This record gives sequence, structure tokens and C-alpha cells, in this order.
Amino acid sequence: MEQPDAWHLTDRLDAEHGKGDPFAAAVRATRMAMIVTNPRLPDNPIVFANDAFLRMSGYDRQDVLGRNCRFLQGPDTDRGAVALIREAVAAQRDIAIDVLNYRKDGAPFWNALYLSPVANEAGEVLFFFASQLDVTDRVDAHLQVQKEKDHFEAEVARRTRDLTEALATQTMLVHEVDHRVKNNLQMIAALLAMQTRAITDPAARAAMESMLTRVEALGTVHRRLYQSNNVERFDVAEFARDLATDLIRGSGTDRIRLHLDLETVEIPVTKAPPVALMMNELITNALKHAFPDHRAGRLSVTVAPDDRHFTIKIADDGVGMPVQVMEQRSFGKRLIGTLCRQLNASIAWQANDPGTIVNVRLPRELATGPEAR
Amino acid sequence: MSEPMRILVVEDEALILMQIEMMLEEAGYRVVGTAMTAAEAIALVHETRPELVLIDLRLGDDSSGVDVAHAVRAIGGITAAFMTANARALSDDLEGATAVIAKPFTGAVLEESLAYLEDCVRRPPPAELVPTGMRLAPALLKSFAQMRQ
Repeated sequence: MEQPDAWHLTDRLDAEHGKGDPFAAAVRATRMAMIVTNPRLPDNPIVFANDAFLRMSGYDRQDVLGRNCRFLQGPDTDRGAVALIREAVAAQRDIAIDVLNYRKDGAPFWNALYLSPVANEAGEVLFFFASQLDVTDRVDAHLQVQKEKDHFEAEVARRTRDLTEALATQTMLVHEVDHRVKNNLQMIAALLAMQTRAITDPAARAAMESMLTRVEALGTVHRRLYQSNNVERFDVAEFARDLATDLIRGSGTDRIRLHLDLETVEIPVTKAPPVALMMNELITNALKHAFPDHRAGRLSVTVAPDDRHFTIKIADDGVGMPVQVMEQRSFGKRLIGTLCRQLNASIAWQANDPGTIVNVRLPRELATGPEAR
Repeated sequence: MSEPMRILVVEDEALILMQIEMMLEEAGYRVVGTAMTAAEAIALVHETRPELVLIDLRLGDDSSGVDVAHAVRAIGGITAAFMTANARALSDDLEGATAVIAKPFTGAVLEESLAYLEDCVRRPPPAELVPTGMRLAPALLKSFAQMRQ
């Protein structure tokens, strides 16, 4: 049976009274390192240390008794942790903290320190009781994880920086190439335009002018590229507006009214040049053949989505395609046929009464390859 | 008949410069000078006092059309327009220029753009519809809109 005043016996440890006390015996024998200090003596010295403490610290009992605990500190002991312990002692509070301590032989170990004041009934602090546990393995493992985490984060940051730089370089390169392509197309157009001016033969001149409008149509594609937010898609409707306006204007007449019926149709950028060239041929043809002898009229351009396809319709109210034109194997017609083949498009010429309607139906996505899902 | 509009062309690609010059003369404008670098252009702006300066953004000797536009703005009373394949590199206020014509332009677009710029210089305000491939400085768009009221 426990004596009601049994714990008081431990109060008198310094009186060497607790030898027979079961609590004191337990404290002496436990594998948990424990010390008691006396704050009423100068510099709060150790007045009791159990064998576990001596084993852990490597000191002999006479080395530690009468000394303040600070001898456990060493070069890498965190000053902040020491300050927290000092504050707790001054405020007579308990504290649990991991602190780096040093054995007598200088080997460091992580000490999970638990320190608490022991007061009498009057509230006066008579002792500090401290238990220590060597948690070097736990702290080292934690530090190792932290170190690995820091290393990993630094590595991720480095890779992100590298990728960001690579992307910036690539973006700059794309803009540079884009700039050069546009400039070169402008130069080719300049050459053709200047050469055309010097040609007097009407047939040769007409052929050169056709070439110039084809190059200009490709130039318009490149001007439109990268204007939208999506650099991989090309809006056929916006292009059709630019092209048709430009060709009517280039025909040098205001007799032909342009009617546009355009719905947004976005296609992969790789399809833009053939689509552009095909529209250029069809509109140029209509302007060339439908309105002879200064005939006035109306040209209508329609771009409309049609399920997974889209249609381009060029309609005029002119004289109608002459049979000779329809049957001849002109370069323009061969070009249209070739482009249709590339685009997997079907094309139909119909009488518009008066005039002609050309209907082109094209798949929106690429027929093969990763973009076709 | 009024005098033809006096234009200075600043472009470092000789072929494009030649085409623009020929086209301008054919359309009845007067090309008062041509320059291929910013330094040449700025000297010519002071010397010839044109009504309109057409400026490529990237110029010879690694110089920039932006410097030409700034010089034109500092003089005042001269209209400047960029012609560039890199319109997005320009600031929102177009460095004091009136407009930017996107390259590559077709012959028809250049003619239309010049007619529009002539209206800006000689008979403001120009028509409400800005030609294809051309972008106007926002401040000017606003003041033209006020003039139309």
C-alpha cells in the first residue's frame, strides 16, 4: 500500500533520505535518464543524476553533481533552444524540447528533454526534474527526410527554371522564324510585283499576276497565323474575310459587291495553306470569268461548319462558267484538283441561274495522325 | 489639284523598299527619301520634313524603327506608320505612330492603307472602317471618333 505522503519523500532527495523510497528506487533504476537540479542553490546545479543519465552522457557522477546542465551543450547546439529552456526555468514552467547535446567524449546526440518544476504545497519551486531520451536516430531520420525534401525541391525548382528558359528560347525562336517567313513572303511578292510591271505581253502578265495573288494568299495565311490565342488552330472564316476583301479590292473594280456569310471554323494550322490556296483559286476564277465586259454583280462567300466537316461556298451571279473553261485542263483547275486531294475534299460546280456556285466540303480535322481522334 | 503627299520610306530589305517606292510613285505619291537604318532615317526626317513616314520595325545596323518613330514624335506634325511582320512587339501606343500595317501585305492592302493614311494626314477624320491588316493607335481612334461627331 502506498503511503499517502509517499511522494514527499522524494522532496528530500538531497537529504539522502529516499534510499528506501520506492519512487526514488525506480528513478535510480529506470533506463530513462533523469536528473534533478536545485534552483535554490547558485546556478541551479544538478543535485541528482541517475545511472541512465551517466550512461547516456558518458560522465561520472562526480563530474556532473554540483554543475549546471549547460556542460551538455556544444558548438552546434541551437542557441534558440537553449534560450527557450532558460526562459522555462526562469518562468518555472515545464518544457519539452529536442536539443543537440554532447557526450563527455564530444560525440553529439539528440536529447528529447522534458523539464518540469517541482513545487511544495506553498507553491515554492524546490527542484527541477528533467528526463532525457536519446532520440538521435529519430531526429537524424527526420533531418534526413527534410534534407532529401529540400534537395528534391531545389531539384524541381532547377528543372522548372531550365524548362522555363527552354520554353522562352523556343518561343523567341518561333517568333524569329515567323518574322523571317513573313519577310521572305513579302520579298517574293515584291519580286513578282515588280517583274509583272515590266511585262507587256498580256498573257504572260496575267500568269504573273495569278502567281502574285497565290503568293499573297500564302502571305495572308502567315499574317493570320499566331493572331489567335490558339497557335495550333487557324480560323477559316477570318481568313476568308481578309482574302475576299483583298481580291475584290485587287481586281480594281467597285462593280462587284461582296457578300460574306461566315461562321467560325477552326482547322489545324497545317491545313491552312492548302485551304487558303484553294479559296484563292475559286474566288479569283469567279472574278475572272463571271463578270466579263465590266459586268456588275455579286460575289458571295460562305464558310459554315457541317458536323465534322465544313463547307466553303463561292457563289456569283455572273454569266456562268463557259463550257470551255469548265472542260479545259488549265493550271488553275489542276491546282484545285490537287489541293482537294490533299485536303480530302469534295468539290461540286453547279449552275446558279444566273451564275455559278462552287461547293467544297472538307473534313475539319486531319484524316490521319495524332490530331484525328 | 493639291500637291502629292510627301512620303519617307524606311525599310532595310532593299527589295521590299523598291516595291514600296515603285508602288507609291505609281499611285501618285512623292517619295522624298528612303532610308535603311534608323540614323539615316532620322537625318532624312529632319532634312526633308515629309508628311508621312513609313517605318519598318527592324532596320539595318541592328537599329530599330522605334527610335525613328520617337524622333518623328519629337518633331511633331508628321504622321508615322509602322510596316512590320512583328506588330506584337510594339507598345499599345505604337510609340507615337498613327498606325501599323502588318506584313506580309498584298499590293491591294498597301494601296488601301495608304489611301487611308492620306485621309489621316490631309482630310481627318478618315473613314470609320480601318483597312484589313491595319491597326490604329487607340488614342487616335478615339480622337477621330470625336471628330466624326
